[in-house]
Amino acid sequence: MFLEQLINGITLGSIYAIVALGYTLVFGVLDIINMAHGEIFMIGAFVGMLIMSKAGAPLPVAFLGAIVVTAAMGLLLERFALRPLRGRPGASHLASLISTIGVSILLENVAHKIFGSGNHLFETPFAEISFTIGPVTVYLVQVVILLISLLLMAGLSLWLARTRAGKALRAAAENLETAGLLGVDTNRMITITVVIASAMGGVAGVLVGMAFNYINNQIGLSMGLKGLAIIIFGGMGSVYGAMAGGLILGLSETFVVAYGSSGYRDAIAFVAIIVILLIKPQGLFGQAPAEAKR
Amino acid sequence: MEWLNPYHLQVASFMLINAILGVSIYVTLSTGQLSLGNAGFMSIGAYTAALLSTQHQLPIPVGILAGSLLAGAAGILVGIPSLRLSGVYLAIATLGFGEVLRAVLINWESLTGGAVGIAAIPQMGRVILAGARDRGFTPESLGLQSNQFISLTVFLILLAGTLLTVAFFLRLSRSRVGRAYAAIRLDEGAAAAAGIPITYYKVLAFSQGALLSGFAGALFAHSTSFVSPGDFTYHRAVEILVFAVFGGSEHIFGPVFGAAFLTVVPEALRAISEYRYILYGILLVLMMVFRPQGVIDPALLRRFRRSGKGTPA
Repeated sequence: MFLEQLINGITLGSIYAIVALGYTLVFGVLDIINMAHGEIFMIGAFVGMLIMSKAGAPLPVAFLGAIVVTAAMGLLLERFALRPLRGRPGASHLASLISTIGVSILLENVAHKIFGSGNHLFETPFAEISFTIGPVTVYLVQVVILLISLLLMAGLSLWLARTRAGKALRAAAENLETAGLLGVDTNRMITITVVIASAMGGVAGVLVGMAFNYINNQIGLSMGLKGLAIIIFGGMGSVYGAMAGGLILGLSETFVVAYGSSGYRDAIAFVAIIVILLIKPQGLFGQAPAEAKR
Repeated sequence: MEWLNPYHLQVASFMLINAILGVSIYVTLSTGQLSLGNAGFMSIGAYTAALLSTQHQLPIPVGILAGSLLAGAAGILVGIPSLRLSGVYLAIATLGFGEVLRAVLINWESLTGGAVGIAAIPQMGRVILAGARDRGFTPESLGLQSNQFISLTVFLILLAGTLLTVAFFLRLSRSRVGRAYAAIRLDEGAAAAAGIPITYYKVLAFSQGALLSGFAGALFAHSTSFVSPGDFTYHRAVEILVFAVFGGSEHIFGPVFGAAFLTVVPEALRAISEYRYILYGILLVLMMVFRPQGVIDPALLRRFRRSGKGTPA
């Protein structure tokens, strides 16, 4: 029982980590919270559902489709809702927050018009396959989710640490202006960041569909809120904070539901925000206090 | 008296409640902070007022006062941890707060009635009419039908509440506190260097906004006589934000105008009403790109005033 819950928690946590990574990448480079990320993730889940459950195509095609659509949405988001606000004299830091809220409410209600507000079944062809190791039952879906998330996290870490583009992104995250002076094409870097973050959201959307077996047009808000809680918890802009925070939230939610009450499962993320803000406001892995940053 | 029908008066009443909500987010925005929890604070006011009058038979004004104060107190509790840091923390914490509060309203069925909500809340107009009847007054003596009188009473009470709110914050903006808010919005660092306790003023502004949302919520409960968790979703919070962003967040007339315009136009044009939230989303992006200060800003108001008086200032 305990081991099975542990596996459930890690699976859920790795999905949360992928969602949170999308927020933290954009925050790291641009210092803004992309409130539309949750809804881009929701669109990714719907694209995956259409490809796999409705068209009956295999899983890799669903991932590919979700990535293509969400990456394109990231491109549009950056071009029309973020770039026009950038570098304008006297622009308040709230401007990008508000314009991405606009995109989020737009996407949620467009999805509502197309798909309605009810639940849609997300069918995975191998959903029923499981195997037993000793006393523990493990579903193949869980293994696939875990593998994909780990691959994604490892790939992102390697890309950030070892490649030229990753280095440029880290430089841009450190200080956008200085990076620009040193020859980094910051506009291009920002676009790449938003596109990669959005594509990760698309992958996370398909993973959530696989894990929960149903999706609706409100998952963007509920999962987005958890992603936001995780980046506050792990430290804004910290890649490892997002991963660790995701796992911690996934595990604590699973165990609270297993050994406590399920009605307030979604409240855990909020309680975590308030507690961390009171005790260690820069987050678990945050470096500088947020006050000093701006 | 044909034009004075309950439907027109109801639209006007919603317009006034929305105006108070618009001011509630404006107060927080006037220190450069964004709150997404005003729908949540509104629900605190609405449920407190509803429960006090339905389960404890307390008079309506007591419920409205208690609801507003409780919402303000909740604002202090959420504000203190999140306002020590930069603006995005407040936006996220209040977004989470609103959603958790809604989960509590749905799950705590013994107190809140769950997803169904609370019905049969005493309606201000009806209560006043019943009281007046006891003293031998009939609305017919004013040439009004009962339902006209009820709607008109509600409208007048809300109008008084709105005027009081606007007058208070108009005065506040010219006081020491208002100047501190403006200084913090323009440059937090410079304001702190000038000796303004910025966390104190940010928490003050935020809890004033929360109190106002609670006030609007309590008035809403006693105007519609029915509340449910569905009235206080994230959509409502975004709607309140749109009032201020569209109307203008640099002068108190901005959110009032935004609330009035965005309440009346969808009522007048039914075709728009169906796509309301899609349009809100587009509106938020367009406003941020082309006119971040909103339709009404101090420069526009000065121009009006100048042309009105005919004297160049």
